[in-house]
Amino acid sequence: MQLHRDRGEFEAAGVRLAVIGQGTPDHARDFQRSQDVDLPLYVDQDRASYRAAGAKVGTLGELLGPAVLARGLRVSLRDRVRQGRVVGHAAQLGGVLIVKPDGSIPYAHLSEDASDVPPNDEVLAAARAAAER
Amino acid sequence: MLGTASKREAVHRPGSADDLGRNRVLDGDGREVALADLWRDRPAVLVWLRHYG
Repeated sequence: MQLHRDRGEFEAAGVRLAVIGQGTPDHARDFQRSQDVDLPLYVDQDRASYRAAGAKVGTLGELLGPAVLARGLRVSLRDRVRQGRVVGHAAQLGGVLIVKPDGSIPYAHLSEDASDVPPNDEVLAAARAAAER
Repeated sequence: MLGTASKREAVHRPGSADDLGRNRVLDGDGREVALADLWRDRPAVLVWLRHYG
């Protein structure tokens, strides 16, 4: 996902963006600089929020299987991202949740493998719907 | 290897954000933030990255 490229559209929709990663605040700042990302970044050092969000740890095949690598390459090209040095638990997979002030979760996309990343358009449409309801 | 799971795990979409909201993360300055604060006044899009890198 390249949320930062659509940050203005998310903000115009009336939602808050938050990106959570592993590691330390220094790692987050390094990531911000190296990827030229202008988003609120947070770190979860013990990955408790990953577990609470329902994200999983991948198998070797879900990280490095041929189909996963091929799809990952297509996603990298689509989103124009480059893979850097891994920080934290290398097999931890991520996900996206939209949470409303009442605690409901109208949208969830939890990665089934390392290449499973939702398109920005899908998340943006869900964000707009969440802000309108 | 790489801390991978030995068997395929299932993802678990939470039914609500009650438990999730009690988790605390650190912002870029090292300050603790409760996740629930992120959606207190408007919907939040939360993205968990595999890793910063």
